[in-house]
Amino acid sequence: MSRAKLYTVIYVVLFVLATVQVVVEQAGYLEESYWMAFWAIMVLSAVKAVVVAGWYQHLRWEPRSVTTLMLLGLLGAVALTVAASYSIL
Amino acid sequence: MTDDEHETTADGTGEEPPVSDGGTASDGGAIVDDDGLPAGGVPDTPHEDDHGLPPTHSIRRWFVTTNHKDIGLLYTVTALFFLIFGGLLALLMRLELWAPGANVMSAASYNQAVSAHGLVMVFWFLSPLAFGFANYVVPLQIGAKDLAFPRLNALSYWFYLFSGILMGISFFQGSTFNGGWTMYAPLNTPVYTPEIGGTTTVLALILFVASATVGSVNFLTTMHRMRAEGMTLRRMPIFTWSILLTVWMMLFAFAALLAALMLLSSDRLIGTGYFAESSPGGAMLWAHLFWFFGHPEVYIVFFPALGAMAEIFQTFCGRRIVGRKWFIGAMLLVAIQSFVVWMHHMFLTSINLEIKTLFMATTIGISLPFDLMVFSLIYTMLKGKIRFKTPFLFGFGALVLFILGGITGVFLGAVVLDYTLRGTYWVVAHFHYVMVGGVTGLVGGLYYWFPKMTGRMYDETLGKVHFAMYFVGFNLLYFPMFLAWETPRRVFEYAPALTGWHQLSTVGAFLLGSSFLVMFYNLFKSAFVGEEVDGQPWDFASTAEWTVPSPPPLENFPGVPTYASGRLEFDDGGSAQTDGGAVHGKAAALPGSEVTGTEHEGGESHASIWPFVLGVGAFLVLLGLSGLQRGYFPEGTMGGMYIGTAVVGGVVAFGSLVAMTRERFHGPEGPFGESWPFTTVENTKLGLWIFLASDVILFGAFIGAYVFSRVAYGWTDWHHLIPEAHVVLPGLINTYLLLTSSFAVVIAMEFAERENRLGVVGSLVATVGLGIGFLVNKGIEWQHLFHIHTEAFPAGWDPGTNIASTTFYVTTGLHALHVIVGLVIAGYMILRAWNGAYMGDDEPIEYFGLYWHFVDIVWLFLFPLFYIV
Ligand code: HEM
Ligand SMILES: [Cu+2]
Repeated sequence: MSRAKLYTVIYVVLFVLATVQVVVEQAGYLEESYWMAFWAIMVLSAVKAVVVAGWYQHLRWEPRSVTTLMLLGLLGAVALTVAASYSIL
Repeated sequence: MTDDEHETTADGTGEEPPVSDGGTASDGGAIVDDDGLPAGGVPDTPHEDDHGLPPTHSIRRWFVTTNHKDIGLLYTVTALFFLIFGGLLALLMRLELWAPGANVMSAASYNQAVSAHGLVMVFWFLSPLAFGFANYVVPLQIGAKDLAFPRLNALSYWFYLFSGILMGISFFQGSTFNGGWTMYAPLNTPVYTPEIGGTTTVLALILFVASATVGSVNFLTTMHRMRAEGMTLRRMPIFTWSILLTVWMMLFAFAALLAALMLLSSDRLIGTGYFAESSPGGAMLWAHLFWFFGHPEVYIVFFPALGAMAEIFQTFCGRRIVGRKWFIGAMLLVAIQSFVVWMHHMFLTSINLEIKTLFMATTIGISLPFDLMVFSLIYTMLKGKIRFKTPFLFGFGALVLFILGGITGVFLGAVVLDYTLRGTYWVVAHFHYVMVGGVTGLVGGLYYWFPKMTGRMYDETLGKVHFAMYFVGFNLLYFPMFLAWETPRRVFEYAPALTGWHQLSTVGAFLLGSSFLVMFYNLFKSAFVGEEVDGQPWDFASTAEWTVPSPPPLENFPGVPTYASGRLEFDDGGSAQTDGGAVHGKAAALPGSEVTGTEHEGGESHASIWPFVLGVGAFLVLLGLSGLQRGYFPEGTMGGMYIGTAVVGGVVAFGSLVAMTRERFHGPEGPFGESWPFTTVENTKLGLWIFLASDVILFGAFIGAYVFSRVAYGWTDWHHLIPEAHVVLPGLINTYLLLTSSFAVVIAMEFAERENRLGVVGSLVATVGLGIGFLVNKGIEWQHLFHIHTEAFPAGWDPGTNIASTTFYVTTGLHALHVIVGLVIAGYMILRAWNGAYMGDDEPIEYFGLYWHFVDIVWLFLFPLFYIV
């Protein structure tokens, strides 16, 4: 049952992190210093994503190549977004 | 590099173990050889190992086949048909350009011809022709019996065919898309191209992309997981390498195109405003998405030609390609670089100077590896002993054309020169030299593999006549375009002084066109009455497809192929040995039956009609949807017909999906020896992961479109576009719901492992319930926002209100569609679980979970982006 327990702990952590994101907003940090709060919120999302991928999707137990594959996709999407956005600044 | 496939040559031609080693094995080969002839008058006595497929002369065969060689033939023939389609459009245009101004066509017709010609040639002819060869040759070259997912392979073909038919139909719906093959915004929006046919073209492209994506996933899984023992990546033949890199590029590039097309469809069907003039940066958004796909696409169409050229050079120069390792390395480099040069197509847009300079540098960078490849081909010729057969002539011609095209491309890569050359016939000439240069290489491939595919030789003299007419016609057609470069692109007006060049060009076009008549005559006739050939008609051809009969038997090899000794051999299969002689006879009659041992029980059917039916369904759905314009179907009967078509299509598609899941069907499983780097990832799972990687790009591009539009508008002013009523709470609740549903799936897996049926059913029901809750919550939220009445938004906040509402509804809408698909799958799994499936076998639940958690992860980003920041 220990695995089920691990999954439950992860679930609670995810739940809490989502709530924290909203707390950051409700507490007015976005008004106070927008970009700090913005990146804090985005990093929280990234952490949640890594946890879901690593444990719920079992990426941790797959060969490294599968993770690389997904990171390649992510890299492409980020490169497109960043370069395109930069091009019109 | 001693372990190179070159060694196979010497041995393959010397001993030819599979074909001529007398006795038993060749018997098997011969029998199946007859049976597998696609075109001859062959016996139709049902063979014991026909895989449940009707004989080749039966029409039914071609609708139910899932065999990679059949599908390769289907692709090849269909692609050639689209060559005629695109070619006729081109001849029309060249007639029009005989003299400046409107002569034979109206301006509107000319626009249609230009646009459709480009789209048909790039999408429906060039890539699919390459995929005909890839289908036929790649499994043979890597020692596999078939692709990993044979039915999906058939599905790719049917999607491709039906997307092409849809494209053809668009001509009869007012007008096909007429804004150029690059479909620039805002010309691509209904304001400028209101015809229903324009929408149909976009939807046809979506179906084509679906076909390409399914194909990429299939090829990637196959090529990574199912190589024969000893067939390491380093030893892989160059053509197969070129296809491997092509499908990797396709996987990512086509996902970006899919995103672009889906956003465009949303604008056209629902009436959102991504590319409307009112959208800040709408035109730029399209250009970025399109060219992020578009530049890799030029290599996607060119690489297979390069691979075919390399094979042809090796065979007809009688030696291995010089610097093989470097050649492959250069291709790999280009494949990666191809994703970082896209803005050289945007030098004349408002992108800033820094980024222009950067992309000029990357563009120069990408031309360097090409030099290496070109030199390697040239040295191969110098060091080898050339035999000037038709395939070589075309391969050599392709090299010459490509060099010219490449050099003229470097001009365009220079920002300053591009200011002058952009939008002129210089560009037209450049990309025809490279792209039709690629076609030239593939035509070489067609002659090269024709004997393998048909078992008969083409007429060499006619082949040479074809080449002479082709090469002269080509240069007569395209070279004058460099000289008349001041002609503006895509219109039929030009300075009268240039008329001479254009007339030369038109003459060349007809010469080029008629050269194909020679080819069609030659190949068609030879397919029936050409001289019969054995497995190896070329001598010195070094790759595995030449070690088996022409055409190869259904299961390709007379035993388990292995390269363990450094050259190709066929094992009898360990377990069969013990049964001794008696069984050996059977093994001869069922060549390859040992390959997968338990999986391939004799007589198992590899026929399935469902890929075809699913193709029909998808076709009808899209045809029906094309009638939808900015939220409305046409009035009256016409509208009813469109809606009816879509509904019928939906039912057919859904039914065939269900039927497909219920059908008993086994593809080859693997691993067969070499599966780097996915040795422990089973086929279906790997396929799923690869698909998800492309979905990352799809969602990434949707999110990217949001970020880009917001940056264009002014990031922190964005909230002006959003009503007060758009609050965090519904988003937070949905985050909770999705997280919980993900948890439920994980728990379902635990229960499955512990063989607790009710537990599995219960957790899956929870998953579905939470998912439905997610959708209902979203529905309530949307209803509310649609109908607000505030000072800023008196008429509600709907998808067409502004760019913020557009990005919000469309991005979260795409996500909701993913949720719905997941729920359908989960619903199906509940039924199965109720009947006792998955006990002690949690794999299907795990695979569903991969998808479901992915959808969850996407939401984890959509939530803050669309609700908080
Ligand atoms: C040797 C390396 C190459 C370089 C440096 C290069 C450079 C360029 C540049 C800078 C443009 C943009 C021109 C403009 O629109 O003003 C362009 C256009 C184009 N190139 Fe290339 N190119 C190369 C190879 C290729 C290859 C291999 C293909 C196809 C197989 C290709 C197909 C095209 C196409 C289709 C266009 C026109 C796109 C349109 O319709 O606007 N190019 N090339
Ligand atoms: Cu390019």
